[in-house]
Amino acid sequence: MTFDERLTEICRRLDTRGLDRVVGVHDGAHFIEKPDPVFMLTGFKSLGPCAAVLERDGGTTLVVTPAWDAVRAAQKRPSLRVVAADDVGDGLAGVLEGCVATGSVGLEAAPFGIAQRVAQLIPNAPPVDEIVFGAVHAKIDSEIANAREAVCIAELGYQHLLDIARPGISEDELAVELRWHSKTLGAEDNFVLLCASPHNRAVAPSHGRRLQAGDIIVVELTPSYRGQLVQICRTISVGEASETLRQKYALVAGAMHEGIAAAQPGRPMADVCRAINDVLEAEGYGEFCHPPHIRRRGHGLGFGSIEPGDVALDNQTALEPDMLFMIHPNQYLPETGYLLCGEPVLMTAQGAVPLTAQMATLAEIKL
Amino acid sequence: MRTMHPTLLVGPADWDRSRMPLEEFQARLDALWRADTWAGGAIVYGDAAEHAALAYLTHFTPKLEPAIALLSPKSDAKLLVGGGINMIPAAKPLTWIGDLLPLRSAAKAVAEWSANLPGGGSLMLISGDAMPYAMHNEIVAALGLERAVKDGTPILRAQMRRKSPRELAAIRQASSMLGEAVAELRQSKDRGVTAAVLAAERVAWRRGAQDVRSLFSLDGGRTLLPFDVPIGAAVDPLQIYLAVRYSGYWAEGFAMLSAQSHAALIAAKAGLQAALAQVAPGVSAGALSAALATPFSPHPITNPKVIGIGLALQQDLPADEPVGVGEVLSLRAGISDPQQGSALVSTMVAVTETGRDILWSGP
Repeated sequence: MTFDERLTEICRRLDTRGLDRVVGVHDGAHFIEKPDPVFMLTGFKSLGPCAAVLERDGGTTLVVTPAWDAVRAAQKRPSLRVVAADDVGDGLAGVLEGCVATGSVGLEAAPFGIAQRVAQLIPNAPPVDEIVFGAVHAKIDSEIANAREAVCIAELGYQHLLDIARPGISEDELAVELRWHSKTLGAEDNFVLLCASPHNRAVAPSHGRRLQAGDIIVVELTPSYRGQLVQICRTISVGEASETLRQKYALVAGAMHEGIAAAQPGRPMADVCRAINDVLEAEGYGEFCHPPHIRRRGHGLGFGSIEPGDVALDNQTALEPDMLFMIHPNQYLPETGYLLCGEPVLMTAQGAVPLTAQMATLAEIKL
Repeated sequence: MRTMHPTLLVGPADWDRSRMPLEEFQARLDALWRADTWAGGAIVYGDAAEHAALAYLTHFTPKLEPAIALLSPKSDAKLLVGGGINMIPAAKPLTWIGDLLPLRSAAKAVAEWSANLPGGGSLMLISGDAMPYAMHNEIVAALGLERAVKDGTPILRAQMRRKSPRELAAIRQASSMLGEAVAELRQSKDRGVTAAVLAAERVAWRRGAQDVRSLFSLDGGRTLLPFDVPIGAAVDPLQIYLAVRYSGYWAEGFAMLSAQSHAALIAAKAGLQAALAQVAPGVSAGALSAALATPFSPHPITNPKVIGIGLALQQDLPADEPVGVGEVLSLRAGISDPQQGSALVSTMVAVTETGRDILWSGP
């Protein structure tokens, strides 16, 4: 599927719903778990708050702030009508002509100051996020190609981490270096969630703690290449790993493989989660297969759309080819603490295929 | 200045009490309560993109998910942090507040806190405009009509303009890092745009920066671009915008690096000098902006020409209000002229009793 074909599908859904247009809003704060309808509708990753108006006939208008960034937007996608504005509400007000059936996307997650203004401009517009994001469960060709590039960057970044992680370096220093390093490889961003301790309760943002021998580093490396995120989840022992750690990591990795095997076209996403849980529950870890220890076994990937959603028991989305998502057991075990193990997978007609060249194994840093 | 916002803030953000002791935060809170003696408490929101107010009062930088501080002159502070109970240990080193709770069910938590506040008084909602729409509506609904809720953002924003000596020290450090990064950029300029920008960023990161943002131009300063795909070619002139954050505080700079000068660059620098000469307590942002004007077409990027800077990368200043001692300003001179070309240059200054102290000035 191409970008234009996806837009056509969204327009078809608008038509079915009896809507003439949809207004998408985003604040320009690009967070891994916050879908961006403007990026979805225009392919433009903004610096500031922005809005996109998609008409049922396919015509798209992009409202860009700051106004000076409109040149970049116009170059990015020449078919767009680009409106430069210093205030996204003001810009949108000049675009929304006529009294037509309008839906909104992204309003609930937008900052109050922006959302309130937009809501005033399109009163009674129903939220129709499912129309836009429902059409993007599967990735388009360019997103899949970008995901493959991002995976290469992630794996090179992981190798770099193994090269530089030593006792004495702080979590912050590692996270900063990894983010910088991924930019040298072509990633424009990287969600580097990294922490370490002898017994991690979770994976959390880095802070100033310095690595010590005996630590276990858990890391999510999540580079973005041209707006497409992918992630790898890895665990590293600082020094020789204990036999217990090796055994438990093998258990978690085994659960991940079961999850990958369960990801088959037509089956619900919940089955992937259940397959992972089954392995861990059979070993007596049922208590740790639920919050607060774990709330999902993976998730969608992308700054635009995070479909097909979480790898969770309550996600009944049917898997289909060209879906891209993470499968990561990422399990807390009382003997070892939190262990990270996860791969980005692409759904094919034959099932889920990991995009990584080398799947997660427990790594050790020799001291 | 808008730059591409990263998906996760990764730089060092731990609370260092030797740099910013508890008494500093207590003084800020005391000033806030003095500014609104009717206030019984404050709800302060912050997220990865907008957290200057939250950081000012709590030191907390929300690296990942949002946070809400619940502050009161008569009870202990609480901080609600996103990400669930397991994220709390990771949040603790980032703030002086000891009572951290999960942000989930924020509306319920805020309403319970409000109901249990001793005494009467209204509530200040600070940075409420940055709250997600759904969260804002839920919190306002949960608070009901028990207490009046008013926007405390302007009160705190005014308070934040004047920097304490400790804040100025942090900004000086950020400015020093900015200077070293720009110096590296000059050295690396011929290695290609991406290589030079990344070399500059690395210098700041290695000096301990909390964040580094960059924009660059491939068309002689007419437009600025965020990092997107690697650019191997070198350009001359290389127009750059760099922002470096240290210990919460930002320094920013526009610099045009070129082997040769040209009319637009000369005029922009002259405008900057004219404005610098006027910086003193009592001068208005409007007057400084007028001094920054040149005979050529102004650049849209340097609008506004004068901003406040500190925990926020850009704090807009009322054009007619005088600036005071302790304020830190970024003066920006920009030209984008069809005949004369483009140039963007800037200087950061602290307003002092006797005039100004230049914190950073471009080459």
